[in-house]
Amino acid sequence: MSAAAEKGTAGEPVLVVDGLGAGYGEMPVLKGVSLEIRRAEIVALVGSNGAGKTTLLRALSRVIACTGKASFLGRDLVPLTPDEAFGAGLVQVPEGRQLFDRMTVEDNLLMGAYRRADKAAIAGDLERMYGLFPRLGERRRQLAGSMSGGEQQMCAMARGLMARPQLLMIDEMSLGLAPVVVEQLMEVLATIRGEGVTVLLVEQDIHLALSGADRGYVMETGSIVHSGDAKALIDDPAVRKAYLGL
Amino acid sequence: MDLLAQILINGVLLGGLYAVMALGLALVWGVLNIVNLAHGAFIMLGGYLSWHLYTYLGIDPFLGLPITAVVMFCLGYVLQRGVLNLIVRAPMFNTLLITFGLEVVLTYLAQLAFSADFRTINPSYAGSSIALGPVVVPVARLMAFGVAVALTVGMWLFLLHSRLGRAIRATAQNLVAARLYGVEPRHLYAMTFGIGIGLAGAAGGLYGTVSQIDPYIGATLTAKSFAIAIIGGLDNPLGVLVGGLVLGIIESLTVLYVGATFGDVASFGVLVLVLIFRPSGLLGKTA
Repeated sequence: MSAAAEKGTAGEPVLVVDGLGAGYGEMPVLKGVSLEIRRAEIVALVGSNGAGKTTLLRALSRVIACTGKASFLGRDLVPLTPDEAFGAGLVQVPEGRQLFDRMTVEDNLLMGAYRRADKAAIAGDLERMYGLFPRLGERRRQLAGSMSGGEQQMCAMARGLMARPQLLMIDEMSLGLAPVVVEQLMEVLATIRGEGVTVLLVEQDIHLALSGADRGYVMETGSIVHSGDAKALIDDPAVRKAYLGL
Repeated sequence: MDLLAQILINGVLLGGLYAVMALGLALVWGVLNIVNLAHGAFIMLGGYLSWHLYTYLGIDPFLGLPITAVVMFCLGYVLQRGVLNLIVRAPMFNTLLITFGLEVVLTYLAQLAFSADFRTINPSYAGSSIALGPVVVPVARLMAFGVAVALTVGMWLFLLHSRLGRAIRATAQNLVAARLYGVEPRHLYAMTFGIGIGLAGAAGGLYGTVSQIDPYIGATLTAKSFAIAIIGGLDNPLGVLVGGLVLGIIESLTVLYVGATFGDVASFGVLVLVLIFRPSGLLGKTA
């Protein structure tokens, strides 16, 4: 299946991946993954544990070597270092949040802007984050590690947004969180999409991810096995049978 | 009573100097997880540098401190970038071996270059003191104390509020996340080590104004700095200040009431007690 054949929304392509392979040592994990993400889309990448989702993120962040083609905003991604990929606007919110636990919420957010020099704009973005996540505003002087799981996830997402991403890749956003919190986070994703940020949502919780996304890709043992409009995927009998237990 | 007050004053003044000695060691330990056994040797080098600046160029030891600190910072940056970055993620034992080696090399190079004679930095005000009622406060020690406290508080503010300080804390807490957001660890580690060695250099300059320098003072000063860092905790430069003051006062009291040879017994005794009762340091957070 060619990525170009995928029908996306109106925006320009942000990330185009074609036949991407990657693995650890002799062990191949990704076997020719192709996908495309367009500007201001929310795309879900779903699949069960061990399907290769995190490996794909690591390959895109250039932390591990890969084969095949990947371009980001028209630029060849494969020869870039992790630093350069980050500098180009490919920002990850890692699984398990990876906050700076013994630093304040505000310091965590400022670390997201570590590579930015535009002080005034950073201060503006900080206020924007507190508007987007009022809970973080209330707790800006609190140590990040002392907050609830949902608040920590908000902090991790806000930290990612402080880097002014072109594409925000969120790994396992909902893991371990109460449904009501996940719903709030989904609303935030819809808001930031409205501001032009593109989101790749990587989730084990297939129903949840697809219900909040525009389009989805279903991954299984290192390959994309289903793709298309998110609502259509939820209704797809094969997906329902294999993943939703319906 | 007057004697006790005098001893307490002496202890506090000594403690400020101890704090700035331990500051660099605690920083490097906390961020790089390297217990730098050569830390005292860098203090010794800073002392010689200040002594040369004063003796041959006539630069006042306090005015010369920034020069000493900057030169030592550069030495620390280069050493970390060139040598110690090889062992940052290595097991603690490797870091101990390599920094111990560094301490031996620095000590004997200093002996070759500067001879084994005692050196003292003696500016015109070295002998003068201020009388506060019955208590006498030596001017040089008071100035050294002031600079030491200023450096410690400055370090605390730097770590809390500057962009680099924030990145140093972030890297110490979560290397993976720090890298993810564009921190370049090799540069950051070298900056951290450079700052640690710069502080050691400044401490050496201060030490030279209140005590004697010879090539062999390093090992003792490393041990003291280590004890202070443990007593104060690695989290917070103000902990090191508390640790330094505690150690300075206890040592001074012990020397007076127990005997001059028992000073170190008392300081390491306190270290053991702290390890037993407050393993994360006096100001450290307990779990």
